[in-house]
Amino acid sequence: MEHPVNRRWSMRQRDWAVVLWIAFLAAAAGSFVLFGLVNPLDMFGQWVDEYDIGVRLAYGLVFAFLYLLCLLASALTMFMVRTGPARGHVRGKGGRAIPKVKDPSRSNPDLDGENWQ
Amino acid sequence: MSQKQDAGDSLYRKDPKVYPRDVQGRFARLRTLAVLVLLGLYYILPWIDFNGHQSVLFDLPARKFYIFSLTFWPQDFIFLALMLIIAGLSLFFVTAVAGRLWCGYACPQTVWTEVFLWIERLVEGDRPKRIKLDASPWNVNKVLRKTTKQILWISFALWTGFTFVGFFTPIRELGHSVMTLQTGAWETFWLLFYSFATYGNAGILREQVCKYMCPYARFQSAMFDKDTLVIAYDEARGEPRGGRRKTDDPAEKGLGDCIGCTLCVQVCPTGIDIREGLQIECIACAACIDVCDQVMDKMDYKRGLISYTTEHKLSGAKSQVLRPRIFVYLVLLLVLITGVLWSVNNRVLLRADLLRDRNALYRELPGDLVENVYTLKLINMDFKAHNYKIEVVDNKDYVLFVSPELQLESEEVGNFILRVQAPASAGRGSQKIDVRLTTLEEPIIERIVSTRFLLPFK
Ligand code: SF4
Ligand code: SF4
Repeated sequence: MEHPVNRRWSMRQRDWAVVLWIAFLAAAAGSFVLFGLVNPLDMFGQWVDEYDIGVRLAYGLVFAFLYLLCLLASALTMFMVRTGPARGHVRGKGGRAIPKVKDPSRSNPDLDGENWQ
Repeated sequence: MSQKQDAGDSLYRKDPKVYPRDVQGRFARLRTLAVLVLLGLYYILPWIDFNGHQSVLFDLPARKFYIFSLTFWPQDFIFLALMLIIAGLSLFFVTAVAGRLWCGYACPQTVWTEVFLWIERLVEGDRPKRIKLDASPWNVNKVLRKTTKQILWISFALWTGFTFVGFFTPIRELGHSVMTLQTGAWETFWLLFYSFATYGNAGILREQVCKYMCPYARFQSAMFDKDTLVIAYDEARGEPRGGRRKTDDPAEKGLGDCIGCTLCVQVCPTGIDIREGLQIECIACAACIDVCDQVMDKMDYKRGLISYTTEHKLSGAKSQVLRPRIFVYLVLLLVLITGVLWSVNNRVLLRADLLRDRNALYRELPGDLVENVYTLKLINMDFKAHNYKIEVVDNKDYVLFVSPELQLESEEVGNFILRVQAPASAGRGSQKIDVRLTTLEEPIIERIVSTRFLLPFK
C-alpha cells in the first residue's frame, strides 16, 4: 500500500524554477558588464532628466528589460527541448522506427529501378 | 549513411542521414518558382536603385532604413514593429487556413536547402548515386565529386553572405572593397558569419533545423484544427499495401491502392513515412504527393492517394474553410494593415525636438523682456530641400529668433539655436507654448511641438 508522502515540486515546477533562475543569472551578468562599460546617464541622459526617473530606477529598468529577454530565451529553450519529435526515433512510447525503404521496382516489376519514371 | 545505428539498447540513436530523391510534378514546380522568385529578390534587389538610393538598404550608421520610396528613421520604429506584427499575424492566418505552406515553399531554410540540394544533385547525382558514393571508399572520383560540391557550396554561401551585408552597406561599394580585399572588420565578420550560417543550415543541418530547432514548427500545431489543410495519406484507400503488376486486380489480391514502392519515403526531405499518419516532422513540402501521383498514373489508378486534405475530409465529415478563428485573424490583419498604410501615408515628413537650454532658466533683457533659449533639432524626412518658418501658435507676444537659418536639404538633420522673447507681463512662472514649424514650399508640411517658457514669479 502506498503511504502518503509530502511531495516536493513537480517536474514542471522544477523546470520553471530553473528557467527563472538561469535567466536571472544571465541578466545579472549582463547588467553588470553593461553598466561597467557605460553610464546610464550617458546612455539616455535625456530620458533620465526629462522624466526624472533617477539613475537607480534606470538601472532597475535596464535590468528588468534584460531579465525579460533572458526569460524568454530560457523558457523557449525549455519548451523546445521538452517537446517535439522523439530524437532519433526513440523506442517506446511515441517512438517510431526509422522508415524502411526499398527499390521501388522490387515488388513492382512495372516500375523500373532507378529511372522508374 | 550512419553505420552505427544501434540495436535498440540505448534510448537515443543517431538520426540517419536523409538523401531526398529528386521529384518532379505540380508542387515541385511551384517550389522551384518560389525559390526563383524569393532568391531572385534577395540577390537582385540590392543592385537596383530607387530615388537615388539603393532600393532596400538598412543604413545603420545613418540610422535610416530605405524600402523603395519609403525612408524609415529611428523615430519610425513603431512602423517596423507593426510590420513585424503583421508578418506574424499573416503567418498565423495562413497556417490556420492552409497549414505549413510557409515551411514547404517560402521559408529561407527550405529555399536555400533546395538550392544546396540542386548543387548536390548536379555533382553527385540523385539519391541512389549519393548513397553509393557515401558508402564507397575514398577514391579519385569521390574526392573530385566531394571537392567540387564543397567548392560550389562554399562559393554560393559566400555570395549569400556578401548579399546579406549588401543590405546594410551600399552593395556596390561593398563589392569594390571585397574585390580589393579592403572590407572593414564588421563587414568581414558578418559576411563570413552569414555565409557560415547558410552553409551550416542548408548544407549540413537541413531537416534537423525544422525538426529540432524551429519554434514555428513546434508552435504551429496550436494553430491547427480539423479543417486545416494538411498533407495526408488516405489510409482507407491505400491499405493493405503491397507490390503487384500493373495488370493485377488489387481487389482480387486483397490489396489497397498503395503499391508499397516507398517512393514517398525516399523523396521526403525530413525522412519520414507519411503513411504513418500526420507527423510533426512533416514540413508539407508535397514532394510525396507529386511522386505518389506519378506512381498512380503509372499504375492507371486515380491520383490523390496522398493529397492536400483536412482531417475532417479524411474522416468523411464536411470541411469548412471559413471558421470563426479565420475571421478573427482576417479582421485583425485588415485593421492592422489599413492602420499602418494610413499612418505611413499620413506621416508628417518633418520631425522636431525642442529642448530647453539646461544652463539657464531665463534671462531678463532691457525693455522688460524675458528670453528663454532652446535647442531645436529638425529632421527633414522629405526627398526635397525645404525652408521653414517658425512661430508660436495663436500668440503674438512671443518673438522668435533662430540661428542659423531654417533650411534643410533633403533627408538632412539640423540643430538650431532658438531664442524666444516675450514681455515679462506675458505671465508668471512656467507657461506652456506651442511652436509651429511650416515649410515655405507647397504642399505645406506642418509640425507643432509644445514646450515650456519660463518667466519670473515677481
Ligand atoms: S508513393 Fe504512394 S504507392 Fe508508393 S509507397 Fe508511397 S503511398 Fe504507396
Ligand atoms: S511527408 Fe511528404 S509533405 Fe511531409 S515533408 Fe515528407 S515529403 Fe514533404
